Amino acid sequence: MNRFLSITVEPIDEPSLLASRSASSGMGAVVYFSGVVRGLEGGDRIAALDYSCFVPMAEHQFHQLFDRLAARGTVESVRLVHRIGRVAVGEASLWIEVVSAHRGEAFAACQWVIDEMKRVVPIWKKPIPPSDACDAPSPDAVGSNPHPSA
Amino acid sequence: MTIPVTFWSYFAELAGCAETVVTLSDGATVGVLLQRVYQMHPPLAGLRRSTLIAVGVEYQDDGYVLRPGDRVSLFPPVQGG
Repeated sequence: MNRFLSITVEPIDEPSLLASRSASSGMGAVVYFSGVVRGLEGGDRIAALDYSCFVPMAEHQFHQLFDRLAARGTVESVRLVHRIGRVAVGEASLWIEVVSAHRGEAFAACQWVIDEMKRVVPIWKKPIPPSDACDAPSPDAVGSNPHPSA
Repeated sequence: MTIPVTFWSYFAELAGCAETVVTLSDGATVGVLLQRVYQMHPPLAGLRRSTLIAVGVEYQDDGYVLRPGDRVSLFPPVQGG
């Protein structure tokens, strides 16, 4: 199974991701999902979410999920990008694509990865109210916690 | 042995620091480490039931026996996506 993972502070470039798609002739289903920051968080208006991440563990946990997906033998490719740092309302924080032979497998795999990510991948979000919004990224959003590599 | 402990997300704010070091006897478990951490940082004690524990990049529980060189992370439930 082909895999691509990126945890990045850069905006998610969906056109570029779509242009670089690869699927063999036996694949009949491509499912992709883009998760976008909503303007309400817990009923309160926000300007952005600040995502922080324990990057080495997040990468490890994502790859463990991909290993489990590969073991199913029904997915040819998974690509996932998770943005961290400050993500404004309306911008994408998550992009995932699954390529499989049939749509049922592709939809199920895409849903499964997202569900498991929300259970085990160490990423957190902090709402930023409109009054606190600014263009500069949060200094503590990108793993400033001192932590060793894996 | 000395075990570095990192607090992630709002646990760092509650602890008042992002990282600390705990000195333990050889053979100590994560559970023993947690007791020490809660003595040092009482605001975290109330969140024990929802605390996630990692040693290195793997999840572990209270019974994990720590070894020299281990690094522990404590954090709240994750919220990716």
